[in-house]
Amino acid sequence: MSMSSHTPNQSHHPDAPGTPLTDAHSTGGADHGRWSTKRIAVYALFVALTMVVSFFSFPIFPVAPWLRYDPSGIVVLVAGFAFGPAAAAIVSVLGFLPHVFTNPFGALVAIVVALALSVPAALIYRKIHTRAGAVLGIVTGAVLGVIAAILCNIAITPLYAHMSMGEVLAMIVPILLPFNLMKFAIHGLVTFLVYKPISRLVNR
Amino acid sequence: MSEALPPHTAPTSERPAGATDNVPPLARLNDVSLSYDGGRTWALDRVNLSVMAGEHLCILGANGSGKSTLGRILAGAAAPDAGRVELMGSIVFDGSLPAEKGRVRPERYRMARHSIGIVLQNPEDQIVTTVARDDVAFGPENLGFQPARISQAVDDALARVGMSGQADRDPTRMSGGQQQRLAVAGNLAMEPRLIILDEPGAMLDTAGQQDIMDIMDRLALAGKAVVHITHQLDEARRADRVMLLADGRIVASGTPREVLSRRDLAILSPPPAEGSGSSHLPEPIHKDPAPAVPASTKEGQGGVPPSAVADRQGSAAPAVNVQGLSFSYPDADGETLTDLSFELQAGHTLAVMGRNGSGKSTLSRLLCALLAPSAGSIRMAGLDIAGGIPPARGRRRRRLLRLLRQRVGFVMQYPEHQLFADTVAQDVAYGPRNLGLEPDQVRKRVEDALDLLGVAALADRSPFDLSGGQQRLVAIAGIVACNPQVLVLDEVTASLDPAASQRIMALLRVLHRRGVTIVMNTHSDQEALQLADEALLLERGRQLAYGPVSRVLERYHGLLAAEPSPAQDLPAHTPPSAAGATGTAAPTHQVQSEGLAPSKADGPRTGLTGRLDPRAKIITFLLMMLTAFFISRPNQLALGFVVTATLFGAAHVPIGSLLKSVRVFLLLMLVLVPVNLFFTRTGRPLAHWGPLQVTDQGVWVAILYSCRFLLIILLGALLVETTTPTQMTDAFESLLKPLSRWGVHTGEMALVLSLALRFIPTLNQEVHSIIDAQAARGGSIESGALDQRLRAAVAIAVPVFAGALRHADNLSQALDARCYEGGRHRTHYRRLSMGRIDLAFIGCTAAYLLALLILPLVRC
Repeated sequence: MSMSSHTPNQSHHPDAPGTPLTDAHSTGGADHGRWSTKRIAVYALFVALTMVVSFFSFPIFPVAPWLRYDPSGIVVLVAGFAFGPAAAAIVSVLGFLPHVFTNPFGALVAIVVALALSVPAALIYRKIHTRAGAVLGIVTGAVLGVIAAILCNIAITPLYAHMSMGEVLAMIVPILLPFNLMKFAIHGLVTFLVYKPISRLVNR
Repeated sequence: MSEALPPHTAPTSERPAGATDNVPPLARLNDVSLSYDGGRTWALDRVNLSVMAGEHLCILGANGSGKSTLGRILAGAAAPDAGRVELMGSIVFDGSLPAEKGRVRPERYRMARHSIGIVLQNPEDQIVTTVARDDVAFGPENLGFQPARISQAVDDALARVGMSGQADRDPTRMSGGQQQRLAVAGNLAMEPRLIILDEPGAMLDTAGQQDIMDIMDRLALAGKAVVHITHQLDEARRADRVMLLADGRIVASGTPREVLSRRDLAILSPPPAEGSGSSHLPEPIHKDPAPAVPASTKEGQGGVPPSAVADRQGSAAPAVNVQGLSFSYPDADGETLTDLSFELQAGHTLAVMGRNGSGKSTLSRLLCALLAPSAGSIRMAGLDIAGGIPPARGRRRRRLLRLLRQRVGFVMQYPEHQLFADTVAQDVAYGPRNLGLEPDQVRKRVEDALDLLGVAALADRSPFDLSGGQQRLVAIAGIVACNPQVLVLDEVTASLDPAASQRIMALLRVLHRRGVTIVMNTHSDQEALQLADEALLLERGRQLAYGPVSRVLERYHGLLAAEPSPAQDLPAHTPPSAAGATGTAAPTHQVQSEGLAPSKADGPRTGLTGRLDPRAKIITFLLMMLTAFFISRPNQLALGFVVTATLFGAAHVPIGSLLKSVRVFLLLMLVLVPVNLFFTRTGRPLAHWGPLQVTDQGVWVAILYSCRFLLIILLGALLVETTTPTQMTDAFESLLKPLSRWGVHTGEMALVLSLALRFIPTLNQEVHSIIDAQAARGGSIESGALDQRLRAAVAIAVPVFAGALRHADNLSQALDARCYEGGRHRTHYRRLSMGRIDLAFIGCTAAYLLALLILPLVRC
């Protein structure tokens, strides 16, 4: 590369945090009300990644080996941090949509939990764009995610097993609560560790 | 025209011979400059050039010369920082205006792009859907062609690239060369006047590059202007005009004969075939018995037992011994590798050659114990990793693997895709740290490896800020730092320019002299001849030849000549993946098998469910699935099964493969059986064991709940099996359409979903490759201390996200190239329409649902 003295485009560095879906050398005007190809491509890849990693599941809780951890929560969190709450919502909904055909209510639960986790986290991180904001966002999202997971499971388990609401409360919650706490702790910890290098890639 | 050339520009004319002033060029650049870093360095520096109608211009340049940037400017995909750009006769960028006065003319850019096609380097990232015909139709749809015209354009374009017979195939399962043909067809269907090809052959094997040459000839026949960007000198010979780009400037321009005879082409030239003696000739191992890095190997705690060192020095014991090795992927029919036997003396180099899908990558994974063979034995660096007697299990197996990670290094294809750390030094330290070395030993290893690769100066940089060639070197340093006795490399020079390839070959020579045993997959004769002591030729998983390099090469060329385009009959399970595009087979790890994207998009469907309008099908099936949860009586259950069985009968779907695809859910169903059996306390007790008791009602509940579940699984599987992803997303878009009135981006969401389904196999395979590659450096999330596991998770997650972002970047360029403009003016090639059969089906479903409601009232 050579050095000389032209003036580069003024619109060089991605402007607002959380909206890096613009390009310094773009040839398109701001076409309001439509998504750029960049936005579509990024959403598509994050949705695909959510679908893919939801199959990389393994047990983390020896008491209940049938409850398996999968890292899809990390993908929706990162999507929200990098591209804002709208991205978090879209990736959460579309990422679990194919499961509707195999496990309709399970897919619904997955969508609700992913939304509860990622959208509040993304909103908080957009307001407080610091490490502390990221931690606060992750913790808030995790708490809401755990609550959503347990409420949904209480509502849905009677469809799969012949149990009353009370039985579900007594039997499932002591297992579900620790499992979900572990699950969201892993989500949060890994997201916190990987987000910095990823944000550099996003904002280049 | 008065185009004043700046003094520092090469004194060659940029005008093509025979151009006249009254024919405006298709593209004209005046003093165009572009910087990616705010003006510190310039990717393009005052470039002047014109492209005339019908000409074939070749832009030659090394990696990092700015040639891809130039291609993007010519394609109207990027605006420069300074200068003037005229495309299709209109000025789209004028740097003489102040920035706020609209130097960039978006509307003109948009119109110009409609007449310009672009084919990008990565073949598979340009594919937007899972049916070839639909993929080609994507551009014409975006341009708003009417359906009849789209059909015509699609058929013509496929015919012009010689792919008429493959209109209904799934492009994600094609070879890289075919994918590039399809990308060209996708552009031709938009009737462009100019097509820009940006290193179209860089990621392809020999057969794929033949495809590219064929495409060039066809484009010339079609009378399109072509700008071909490449670093391959021999590809430039057929151009009308060649320009040489270096450091963002055009340094030469003229006919191929004029430019290709220049001496400053050295950066692009292949090295002299015969070097001056020792450097390229493999030296016999006994001449140089020095072990790789003896000192640190011995200090390594838990290090290499003396026997391993003895193995290496004794010329009798082979470092690699493979006997009767066969392998097949769990979901595939047929073997990927069949009965391979070979051995390699310590310190020797083996070149593994073969075409796309011949099984080379699978072999490297087996050698690194990332896969387990279905038959045969493998002994690596004195360790029986497969077929040992007795077989290693449990703790012994883990110990064996730990030793293997110390002795055998694995450089995956595109190893730069596994970079993850904040700095180069930290990334290279990952492997040595996982080996449990002390911090100062780790530091020493890192320094040595970076020195060896000649990248010590980069130690504190972020690996993500480096050029592609530098990233490759750093990634290799990360494996060399583990001091492997045996190094397994999968196409380590793929898509590098000659200078960078040379550097890696020089490194392999050094490692060879130090006594490292090397197994390298390659397509290149030159690499095999210069580096290898012997070669192995694979074809469809069989060992076709094994022995001296020259003899094996002869056989390889015979094979290439006999069947120039092998990929058309790739076995069905060949991965639809990056590896597929770049020349080797790799594991499939089918995600589809679990009910996501349907895998069999090839060919039209027969049977009732295949012919239904997807909207009718999705709605009715979902209703039947949801209502199944509320079935509570035997007669309802019986009706449900009769209806489901009828649907299966009408669909002509093999039930066996369908059940296999939902086996995970069937297992879940079995888990629920005892829950229901034992938790139901009401009814007449039938039996009890301690606190557990089974009642007659419990038995009924267990049967009922599992049958409900089975109904839902079967219906869902049938729906997925008989609906292509395209139909699925078309239906999704159509059903969501009403929401667009409230500002929901329904068209865009449908496209996102469709692209996501198309990228599932790609990402799935990439995630597996990264997990494998990091595992080969000793990182595991499944065992070890918590901080080690977290470190392993980060080492996997960061490259996975980086890969997703990289694909997204390529994909957005591909969407731009196909003139996707946020759905405006967009038409649809396939139109959904409800026919009589759909209405009848909806009627039948309604009757079924009604019957479910009524049945509880019937006394039976």
